[in-house]
Amino acid sequence: MKNPYSRHLGREARVAWAITVKDMRTYYTRPASVMFGILFPFSLFLSFSIGRSTPLAQQIPVLVAQTLFFGSSSIGPVVIPSERANQTFDRFLTSPVSLLAVLMGKTLAGIIYGAGISVIPILVGMVFFESQIANIGALIACMALSSLAFSAMGIMFASIPGQSPGQVMMPLNFVRIPLLFISGVYIPVRELPFWGQVLSMASPLTHTIELARYASGGETFFGPVVNIAVLTIYAALFLFMGIRFHVMNQRKE
Amino acid sequence: MQTENAIMASNLTKKYGDLVAVDHINFEVKKGEIFGFLGPNGAGKTTTIRMLTGVSSPTEGTATITGYDIQRQTVEAKEQMGIVPDISNVYNELSAWDNLIFTGRLYDMPKKFRESRAEELLKMFGLYERRNEKVQGFSRGMKRRVCIAMALMNRSSVLFLDEPTSGLDVQSVIIIRDLIRKLNEDGLTIFLTTHNIEEASQMCDRIAIINHGRIAAIDTPEKLKRTVEGLQSVEVAFETTLPDTLKALEELPSVSEVVRQGDKFRLFTNDPSSVIASTWNYVQSNNLKLVTLNTVGPSLEDVFVKLTGIRLATENEEPGQNVGTEGQRAIMEGRKR
Repeated sequence: MKNPYSRHLGREARVAWAITVKDMRTYYTRPASVMFGILFPFSLFLSFSIGRSTPLAQQIPVLVAQTLFFGSSSIGPVVIPSERANQTFDRFLTSPVSLLAVLMGKTLAGIIYGAGISVIPILVGMVFFESQIANIGALIACMALSSLAFSAMGIMFASIPGQSPGQVMMPLNFVRIPLLFISGVYIPVRELPFWGQVLSMASPLTHTIELARYASGGETFFGPVVNIAVLTIYAALFLFMGIRFHVMNQRKE
Repeated sequence: MQTENAIMASNLTKKYGDLVAVDHINFEVKKGEIFGFLGPNGAGKTTTIRMLTGVSSPTEGTATITGYDIQRQTVEAKEQMGIVPDISNVYNELSAWDNLIFTGRLYDMPKKFRESRAEELLKMFGLYERRNEKVQGFSRGMKRRVCIAMALMNRSSVLFLDEPTSGLDVQSVIIIRDLIRKLNEDGLTIFLTTHNIEEASQMCDRIAIINHGRIAAIDTPEKLKRTVEGLQSVEVAFETTLPDTLKALEELPSVSEVVRQGDKFRLFTNDPSSVIASTWNYVQSNNLKLVTLNTVGPSLEDVFVKLTGIRLATENEEPGQNVGTEGQRAIMEGRKR
């Protein structure tokens, strides 16, 4: 016989999964999700990679990192303001389920979206550009930790009161786009000045790119252990702050 | 948990900074009752519902749903209730069936039960044939029915309905009112918020009138009407009217106010027989022909107007205060003005 605590956890997990599945069916193909989660990273990648002398196989890790970054962090800011606008978010607040389970469900929807999209450049690279996976463990860690951290980041930004995705996407892009320039996407970290390397160390995207490069047989500047540690810290931090901000919002109700 | 009350609010208070949105309100809703909650915009109706349903935390006081404290026994309390907000918050991208199934999953209902309940509700609400269509193609009335069905998925014992018929066509209004009555006959307690006073009068066992965050009155519709018996009126319609008919009627003795309602005039008075006599004199002296002449008792709207002062409040009359005889006089004076 299960104890009440594990029954409660089981119930919370089932409800969180139900929310994930509903969000996948309802929001994955919304124009805002496609625009900010898919078109945005692919367009940015193409605009900066076409005409460069670097072979495409070597640039695949950058595209993987960008899709993880933009895809995972876009779902929360699309789903939560839309649900506030048509009051479907209130359904969760009046259901016998905790806010934590609701946010976990939404975080998982972001994880699956970002990780799912990032598989496309991996497969395209392997099939058409002879890129290879040298370290499957590093790739799994990269995808799991990055999608978790970035999805939680999106959920955290979605705590900004607003009833349209644009109201959340705008401040989120103020953070996301500058991160591209300090994370070794366009200029390798080792070529940055010292202060640039320090800034780069503080960006979670740097560690996603580094792990993706490492997984495909490339070098990392900070090393995979540091990359995994920093991404884990960011994932925990974004989750904690996101939950805290949403709880604060609900208390203000 | 055994309790006679489906809902109990004790000293329920909500403050936003210095603003007191709901001010120490107390009421009980008995099991199986249809309880109406009336009030003008900004009176505190929605804030009260949000506290009762656990969306918002009260600043002071407690609320229980079938005996479960909404703050301390949140899960148990929420399992007892279904909520239909003022807009139909359905998932437009999902089918009617999927909306109900998702709601069942939110309540962690086993698959077999949620499917049988969804089928039962969709048949009851006349939506089963269209269960696989996306809700975005549904009319407003159909969406409302889906929304009510979603609120009933968990076999709730208390149903909160916020403006259930607002903005719907007549046919949908009739369907939804019939559904509400049927659900109540089956034992469901209903907490109904509405702007439609006639709807509240027809449907509710008891009514609470809230104004400026305070409960102004709670009673059955008929007893509430009796509190303003002094506000009687005579309704009169003429075949043709003269340009100064309204003014002439206002000047009749014992008439405190005249309100034009379509082709009729409603003459408010404390002495209907005297007004009938003077109206008849006016008709004869001006060679007019009468179409209708009725005495009309106070309506629930009159009670609402009296208690909330939305049309007539004077600076001296504290809104929401039970104004009694003096208040009635103020109302009569207000109408004269």
